[in-house]
Amino acid sequence: MAQSIRSDHAPRSVPRLSGPGTARERLGTFVRRHKLAPYLLLAPALIGIALVLLWPLAQVAIYSFQNYGLAQITGVLPAQWVGFANFSTTFTDPEFWLSLRNSLLFAIVAVPLTLLVGTIVGLLLNRLGKKMSIFVSTAALLAWATPPVSASVLFYWMFNPDGGIVDWALARMPHWLVGGTDWAGYNWATNGPVQAYTMIAILVVWQAFPFVAVTLLAGLKTIPAELTEAARVDGASPWRVFRRITFPLLKPIYLVLLLLSVIWDFNIFTQSYIIISLGNQNEYNLSMYIYDKAFGFPPSYGLGGALALIFALILLVVTVGYVRASIRQGALT
Amino acid sequence: MTFTRSAAALGVAVALAGTAAGIAGCGSSSPSSSASSAPAKLVVWRMGGSVPSQVTWMNGVVGQFHKQYPQYSKTKVVVDWIPWGNRTTDWTNALTSGKGGPDITELGNTDTPGVASQGALANITSSVHSWSNGSQIIPGNLANDTVNGKVYAVPWFGGVRGIWYNKNQFAAAGITSPPTTWAQLVSDAKALMRKYPGTYGLGAPSDYTNAIVSFIWGAGGQVAVQQNGKWVAELNSPQSQAGIKFYADLYLTNHVSPAKYIGETELGTVGATSGGSNEDFALGKLDMYIDGPWAQSQLAAVSTKNESQWASFPIPSENGPNPAPAFAGGSDLGVWVNSTYKTAAFDLIKVMDSPANATTFANSQGFFPEFTSALSGGAYSGSAIMSGFAKAAAYTQISPLNSKNWATADATDNIIPDMMKALMQGANFTATVNKANTEMQNVLNTGSES
Repeated sequence: MAQSIRSDHAPRSVPRLSGPGTARERLGTFVRRHKLAPYLLLAPALIGIALVLLWPLAQVAIYSFQNYGLAQITGVLPAQWVGFANFSTTFTDPEFWLSLRNSLLFAIVAVPLTLLVGTIVGLLLNRLGKKMSIFVSTAALLAWATPPVSASVLFYWMFNPDGGIVDWALARMPHWLVGGTDWAGYNWATNGPVQAYTMIAILVVWQAFPFVAVTLLAGLKTIPAELTEAARVDGASPWRVFRRITFPLLKPIYLVLLLLSVIWDFNIFTQSYIIISLGNQNEYNLSMYIYDKAFGFPPSYGLGGALALIFALILLVVTVGYVRASIRQGALT
Repeated sequence: MTFTRSAAALGVAVALAGTAAGIAGCGSSSPSSSASSAPAKLVVWRMGGSVPSQVTWMNGVVGQFHKQYPQYSKTKVVVDWIPWGNRTTDWTNALTSGKGGPDITELGNTDTPGVASQGALANITSSVHSWSNGSQIIPGNLANDTVNGKVYAVPWFGGVRGIWYNKNQFAAAGITSPPTTWAQLVSDAKALMRKYPGTYGLGAPSDYTNAIVSFIWGAGGQVAVQQNGKWVAELNSPQSQAGIKFYADLYLTNHVSPAKYIGETELGTVGATSGGSNEDFALGKLDMYIDGPWAQSQLAAVSTKNESQWASFPIPSENGPNPAPAFAGGSDLGVWVNSTYKTAAFDLIKVMDSPANATTFANSQGFFPEFTSALSGGAYSGSAIMSGFAKAAAYTQISPLNSKNWATADATDNIIPDMMKALMQGANFTATVNKANTEMQNVLNTGSES
């Protein structure tokens, strides 16, 4: 009796994968009926993302409500739930608002500048002959392909008060042109947020405009030549052609570039970390502020976790705005 | 357009993952065992850059270690040099990963209380008490390494900052004896700048707490004092303000320090290996430079042209004649909490820090040993460089730089450097000092600025 029951159940619980087994067919029917195939195909990727992204994210969220730090890792003090203490500490810290302001102002200046330079170069590339176009875009893409660390070190040298080429050149220019500042030995990195971010803005725009230019070039190639030709025949100026034809047609691309640039420029860490260096707190941007709070000594992963969540929420607002705009334009269909 | 949607989403995802993985990348593991067998190797973390004379000294110590403790005769001693600017990061990484840590680490004496309270160091109370030389250590310095009655490190050497100068330059500028008041200090700096156009008189980097405190103390002020077990910040007392103002005015009104030192440490920007006031002094671009005698080897590495003329005097107090109290800096040796061979590690410390070895080491590097016997007897009056520092060593203070939350106040929150930088950039004096004072009091008491 017992044996017959077992043999009766065996095929159901252990589906045989070979032969004309009914289990395999039943599994297939189950998958088809519930339309599971796409999910099964997605599963490996989802599991991977869950492991490397969602789990750390959950941990950050947990830490953000704890006083989790080095002493909790070494075990000399227990990890305690502290409610919203990490968030209130952050919001009452004037340096948090200062670094948020630095990040925002930087994005407000660097993003339009990147788009402007990118547009100009993109339009230029569209006009150039084939060989020149390849030459210019290759040169520009080399700037884009330079690793941010190398580029930052390069700029750090160029703007160095001890023999940097920028100070050297400025000191040799007439005063009526560059002002009365003592440029020889002028410390761009530590003299204040405006000076430091001027330097970083040049660096970031230099590295980011090629992507904008090349993306726009791809868009420009899709605009039918007849449109611009007809406008020119009707006597439209180049500016009018751009404003009435090129820009409206490329608007979806511009929107994407704008939001990507906002995310990138709001996020910069490598450049500011190398150029400003820790210790000049009035020049911190949000990412440096987070780094200092989370990994300075003694490290506070709780505070860092809270800050990471706040930072993520800010970026989420930008992304939601982008997705909404895209849906309204029908770009997502 | 789906491509771009996922691109944007990816941007956010990457941003999130970056912060998330960074924050969360700290699993804990703590191997705990006390193996009695001899270790194959002991790792010692030394701070700073490797200097040949220190390597020679360490080789001698290892030889003695093998001889005195035959059970360790096969133990290899590995010295890793950690740049001062990286030390807290390296300690943190070793603690959070539970791997790659040392058996023995050198610590700045202001680091020890904070690092010990984070659980990074082994409790070595009984080992120190049973160590015959332990009782000879200057008592106040051992107290600095004691947290809640437990000893976590032993003092190794001490040092004070003074002012480096060039004897030839002083003579040429008509300065007959080193200044002993602030007024003299400034007038001498200006005299040197007149004699040597293009140079600056006295470097005043804004990110230099350990020197700035001497000026606060030199006017009779305090950073903070303890009352009824609570810290009370005193940066805004009239005396402290006088010291802070004097230091800021070295740049602001007296122009004896260049603008480029604003936001810099005495060694340049944090993490940089060149371009600081130390380099300028060695090159003769800066006439007077504040630092300890330990700077000599690094200065000589930049240039030895003027080395024979280098000399030192203590940082003057506001009105003389005694010098301003100098911050009693120095290094300690501690046993790492995750070391498998804590007994062997402390045995090595006993050899490194024996009165004879500690004194040889200190003398060769421009430090002072931590043993009462070695400091008395006027051994340092013969050296131009060391005599000034030896005078300064007679007037020292360390509180509150050795309090538990000092690392947060100075390294994470940069309270004094931020204040000094803002002042040098023209911020309102009273408001800036008051803000720093409030932050200082909060951090020292609670570990948080607000």
